[in-house]
Amino acid sequence: MPHDVTASDRRGFHEDTAAIVVGGLLVALALVVGWNARPAEDAGSRKAFPKGWPNPLAATIDKPQTWDDSPAMSLSDKKGKPLTVPILLGMAWVVGVLAGGAALRGRSLPAVLPGAAALALLGGLAYLLAAQKLINHYNLEYPLWALLVGLLIGNTVGVPRWLEPALQGEFLIKAGLVVFGAEVLFSRLLELGLPGLLTSWVVTPIVLVATYWFGVHRMKIPSKSLCMVISADMSVCGVSAAIATGAACKAKKEELSLAIGLSLLFTVAMMVAMPPFIRWARIDPIVGGAWLGGTIDATGAVVAAGEMLGKELDDKRPAEVAATVKMIQNSMIGIIAFAVAVYWAGWVERGSSGPRTSLAAEAWDRFPKFILGFVAASVVCSFLHTRSPETALWVDGATLSFTSRLRGWLFCVGFVCMGIQTVFRELAPFLASGRPLLLYVLGQCLNLALSLAMASLTFGWLFRKVVEP
Amino acid sequence: MITPRLAGPLRLAACAGMVALAWLVVLPWVGRLPPMKQHVRAMDDGEVNPAAMVYTELERLPLRPDWADREIVLWP
Repeated sequence: MPHDVTASDRRGFHEDTAAIVVGGLLVALALVVGWNARPAEDAGSRKAFPKGWPNPLAATIDKPQTWDDSPAMSLSDKKGKPLTVPILLGMAWVVGVLAGGAALRGRSLPAVLPGAAALALLGGLAYLLAAQKLINHYNLEYPLWALLVGLLIGNTVGVPRWLEPALQGEFLIKAGLVVFGAEVLFSRLLELGLPGLLTSWVVTPIVLVATYWFGVHRMKIPSKSLCMVISADMSVCGVSAAIATGAACKAKKEELSLAIGLSLLFTVAMMVAMPPFIRWARIDPIVGGAWLGGTIDATGAVVAAGEMLGKELDDKRPAEVAATVKMIQNSMIGIIAFAVAVYWAGWVERGSSGPRTSLAAEAWDRFPKFILGFVAASVVCSFLHTRSPETALWVDGATLSFTSRLRGWLFCVGFVCMGIQTVFRELAPFLASGRPLLLYVLGQCLNLALSLAMASLTFGWLFRKVVEP
Repeated sequence: MITPRLAGPLRLAACAGMVALAWLVVLPWVGRLPPMKQHVRAMDDGEVNPAAMVYTELERLPLRPDWADREIVLWP
């Protein structure tokens, strides 16, 4: 039986507090280093720095690149620049985060380090599997392969004793979410004005709440957290939303694994099927793009589907509007995760154990505090991002080239840990009932119908300028 | 005779072998089939990163395109 690392067997900080401290320090480090390296000229020019100011920390982290015939190709970028050192340093960052978390929580560092190094290597293996070109182009993202690597080890040879102290999957996911907060910028919400807001902010919450309610009350799925994770990953933005809401509602590892599997399966199917359908049904390209952005779970798959549609129609607008609508949905993750955490702490968990003290005191007691770190990182970076063109490029440089890569490594190794601690047998009842699959399908049907209606209303009619010939 | 001590490592080796076969032989072969090759080339030409989990992982930041102001009333 693997050692289950819980927040209660601690001598130092609580797991959530440690995640906030480690994640917050990493975001602060990225910002400070980025500020010290600000360019002397054109510091506010998006044209000069399309992805923000270059951040020196970018040289300290990378991941295996796409490869088709030989995995050795993954160790260099498209221009042939070797990436072995940044990839190894990426693993070192993970070891550092695990060591920092262990130190803050009063655990023995020598006991954690060997396991942390092994887990980082397994994370690298998962990234390598995800980087295979065909896998990469059909959006089968790294969490799936990280879970697979972990499952194979946990369900064959089991967990060696020396690895147990480093199995801190939940801590890595929480720290990764705090770092992720820096990428969730509220200013992005306004990128497509009112039509973009209506398409994302009206449809997404309706679909999320309706799917959750239907799963719990009509389909009688026993696990409310499973219903929530499926509803969030299907209605918001796939794996990233599943991770954030799963942590907010304390979903089981098996539930998160199942929701991610469902999401990736349907993402591939929708990415392939929707562009030809839009063309066949003669849906307006801009409406079609908004529909893709509002319904396909994963961001990369949305852009790929938009590109396919655009190529078929010889029009770049579907890809652009699809990506922008999805980015607006990405920016909702913080608010959704916070709302789910409040609802869970105040109503769901309270209901299951009966009232003891006041609602507020009980809710605060159960509230997953790391969500505050996630929201704080988001608010601070959003504030900085809106101050001036220079600060926008400063934040973009720190997030696009460093924190997003670091967050990827933390999630990847976090999922390896979760896979190792997941027992196949516990997944069986979920799979056998078929109800989670049905819930996903029904929710996605509602999402498709409402998103098409709202995209037609906003991008196709209400806010469409009449183009004079 | 396989002892219980050896069963786990043997199962892991068998699984690892299957993964290696799939990733090193099957997937590259499927990737060389014309429809797959065409799809991958189209995505590469468009500088699309189909594996992006969130917008920060995309090759190009999806900022408001120029045409949006001309064709859509963003703030009535």
